[in-house]
Amino acid sequence: MRESIIMKIHYGTALGAVALVAVHILFRITMMDYTESLQYENVLANYQFIPYAIMLELILVLLSVHGFNGLRVILLELKQGRSYERAVTYGCIAAMAVLIAYGSRTILMASMGMA
Amino acid sequence: MANPGRYGIERFAYWLMRITGLGLLAYFIGHIYETSSLLNGKDAWDAMLEMTQTTEGHVLLTLVIGMCVFHTANGIRVMLGHGGVGVGKPSRPDYPYAPASQNSMHKLCIYASIGLAALAMMYGISVLFGE
Repeated sequence: MRESIIMKIHYGTALGAVALVAVHILFRITMMDYTESLQYENVLANYQFIPYAIMLELILVLLSVHGFNGLRVILLELKQGRSYERAVTYGCIAAMAVLIAYGSRTILMASMGMA
Repeated sequence: MANPGRYGIERFAYWLMRITGLGLLAYFIGHIYETSSLLNGKDAWDAMLEMTQTTEGHVLLTLVIGMCVFHTANGIRVMLGHGGVGVGKPSRPDYPYAPASQNSMHKLCIYASIGLAALAMMYGISVLFGE
């Protein structure tokens, strides 16, 4: 994929994540007291509210793509080379996939009442 | 290389952008792991909360708030700069070749990003420690 397209994805995921993370934080501090919002029952209720669970999944994907692409860019700025660049790119993709899978497992199981 | 006094606020912002990005990625991974304890029941969740809802945990969260706000505000500046916003009209390069993208408006935006991050951290402290 061309680097210009990757950067457009990087900026797009950043803007999307900013908007959704703002909603995520507002849920913590506006719906009820911050400490109260972190109670087990309240957090579980958040996950079982399907639109919120979908939003969490979107945040997970957007931030994972943005974060690991950012890491890839930083590592490629530090050092260059065919095999190094390939290792960094595939390493970041693999780490991103693992994080998305692990986070999705939490969201899915909690929203389906398996917690 | 990492001497902000020698290279100016732009180089400082360049490094801060990368450091905050790495910090936020580390926090994000930790946050995913932290929230996964939800699946192990109320006791596991409460034990995890007990570990994070401490003075050290709140200080860390305040730093995360600051990193997040700076990374966002400075990121929007970089994005606009890449899109040609706020870099002025193209002109003949004359000595001393001042880069158009490093003009006073962009410098002001960097300072504003740092100021916003400081304000957000203060708000974060008031919410986290004001319980």
